[in-house]
Amino acid sequence: MISQFLEESKSKWKKLFLILTGLLFLFLIISVSLGSVSISPEGLAQYLISGTAGSDSWDMILSNFRFPKAITAILVGAALSVSGLQMQTLFRNPLAGPYVLGISSGAGLGVAIAIFLGFYFGGILDMSGIGRSWLLVVAAAIGSGMVLGIISLAATKIKDSVTLLIIGLMFGAASGALVSILQFFSQAENIQAYVIWSFGSLGSLSWNELSIFIPIIFIGLISSILLSKPLNALLLGENYAISLGVNIKKNRLLIILNTAVLAGTVTAFCGPIAFFGIALPHLTRMLFNTTNHLLLTPLVMIFGATLMLIFDTIAQLPGMEATLPINSVTALFGAPFVIYLLIRKRNLNYTY
Amino acid sequence: MSGLLETKSLTIGYSQSAGTKILQQDLSLSIAKGETISLMGQNGVGKSTFIKTISGLIPALGGEVFIQNQKISALSKNEMARSMSVVLTEKPYAQNLTVLELIAIGRHPYSGWMGTLNQKDLEVIEWAINETHINYLANHKIFELSDGQLQKVMIARALAQETDLIILDEPAAHLDLYNKIEVMMLLRKIADQGKGVLISTHDLQVSTQLSDKLWLFNFNEEVKIGTPEDLILDGSLEKTLYLEGYGYDMMYGTVENSRKPKGNISVAGPDKEKFWTIQALKRNGFLVKNKADVQIDIRNEKWYILQKSGENVCNSISELLDLLKISYQNLK
Repeated sequence: MISQFLEESKSKWKKLFLILTGLLFLFLIISVSLGSVSISPEGLAQYLISGTAGSDSWDMILSNFRFPKAITAILVGAALSVSGLQMQTLFRNPLAGPYVLGISSGAGLGVAIAIFLGFYFGGILDMSGIGRSWLLVVAAAIGSGMVLGIISLAATKIKDSVTLLIIGLMFGAASGALVSILQFFSQAENIQAYVIWSFGSLGSLSWNELSIFIPIIFIGLISSILLSKPLNALLLGENYAISLGVNIKKNRLLIILNTAVLAGTVTAFCGPIAFFGIALPHLTRMLFNTTNHLLLTPLVMIFGATLMLIFDTIAQLPGMEATLPINSVTALFGAPFVIYLLIRKRNLNYTY
Repeated sequence: MSGLLETKSLTIGYSQSAGTKILQQDLSLSIAKGETISLMGQNGVGKSTFIKTISGLIPALGGEVFIQNQKISALSKNEMARSMSVVLTEKPYAQNLTVLELIAIGRHPYSGWMGTLNQKDLEVIEWAINETHINYLANHKIFELSDGQLQKVMIARALAQETDLIILDEPAAHLDLYNKIEVMMLLRKIADQGKGVLISTHDLQVSTQLSDKLWLFNFNEEVKIGTPEDLILDGSLEKTLYLEGYGYDMMYGTVENSRKPKGNISVAGPDKEKFWTIQALKRNGFLVKNKADVQIDIRNEKWYILQKSGENVCNSISELLDLLKISYQNLK
């Protein structure tokens, strides 16, 4: 009876995963064909088969802009969703997200220091595109890495997970304050450069940067899948998890490291992309009605990647020259959907 | 004797920055296979601390805990999880798991890196579900379950962990009589299969009717060990539960009314009716004696009150009580 039931649910989930993966590819195709210049389906097919779409400008657009951007969107979507999920389960808090431990604030502080101090040392604004983007990446990575280090140290000392959460929030507040002070003393163009960074952007990565971005995110995603089992035990509460043989301190440190590396890398390369990491785990749980992390972890990755592609396609404003900031698009289109689902389900707790 | 669990001069308590607080010391206790033991004592006497200490959640302040002749400090977390499972009073945090998924988490110490279940795991899960009679729930979500159903599911999860020792904290709390009896029978059956069952409880029914032995924790006193009946007869149980002041009736498991008795009454009739009539009379402050001025005779489900002034007939205990109250008021 049990094995039969398990077989049925296994085939049901297999089907769902196949459909979702299919959707991901469909939206990948749509995403790379739409934009200020539309690329015809035949051209795209030709490009995928023979490596050229039949026109130099199309080739250039596809290989230098559209594909890097689409790959970035997929990885960012998967990374932020899965780190949000892990933080929500670890802290047993529906408001937790990838940035709850202060990762993005740390990155923001690093970038702010780079931009505002860079002005005094010859001016970051004068630097050429590549040098400048790498400087920002390094600054953000140092900032988030420092927060990560302090939080991990605290995680080995502190027993209670909620205390860690509060320490993370305090970090966010403190670095926010430092950024404000830096802004107060700087000039308009520096503030503008910082504000533009804080909008988030999926389109600033070239293959050069992707060669670092892809492997780091990939390792993070695989570790996330391996961490699903202890996360499942944590669903019963910490005491039950311990009685099941879970080493809480070790696993908590691993989970924090993993999400921090994922969220930190995303922030370093794409800026702080808010909303997505908090909302997407909720969306996934509500839509697919499961809390089992063995299913939920791959689900949020695929679903998050697909949704980020869709948001990115919307942000490109097909047929127009301009691109909207990705942060505004995710919140603008995502929030009403989450609200709708919440009202329909009435109680968030039942989705946990 | 093969002890599933043994403590040797164990001292339990908390060490805080302000100093250590010792709750119990010199505990030398053991659980054998097939034994059900109830741990009783007042709030704050160290029952939970004891359970946390033997399950390795908090360190012992002195002495040693042995699981199957091995020190727990020498066992890995996984080895501990394979030899001891717990059912706590806290509800699982996640409510949207299915019963089957929750029980499957019980296989955590055995399953592989990815939590995949092999044929053996599935068999054990199916066995745990059958033992606890929750087949009809397998597909339900946790938030749909009643307290009694959830308790059985949590016991099934502990069974799926395949441990020789199962520790339960207040398994009968919040359960109605029917579910309590069901859980008790289930625990009895588990113990009969050769497992050790340790229950921390305040429930007299659970402790006296289910367990082979009681461990009574008292403040500043040695722990008392014995069969429930011995401990009732020598007054230890009464003392542990501090019921003396309330005139606890160990025979009937009821609390004597401390009010001044209204009068003496004798009761005669079939056992069942007699039992419940006496209960009602005691609750209302009458003393029940073998011989008294007022007699109650129960015949054909009618209550006859015989006193000097005459005879009255009542159809129910509530009528009887009303009548008695009136006649005693008149006497004053």
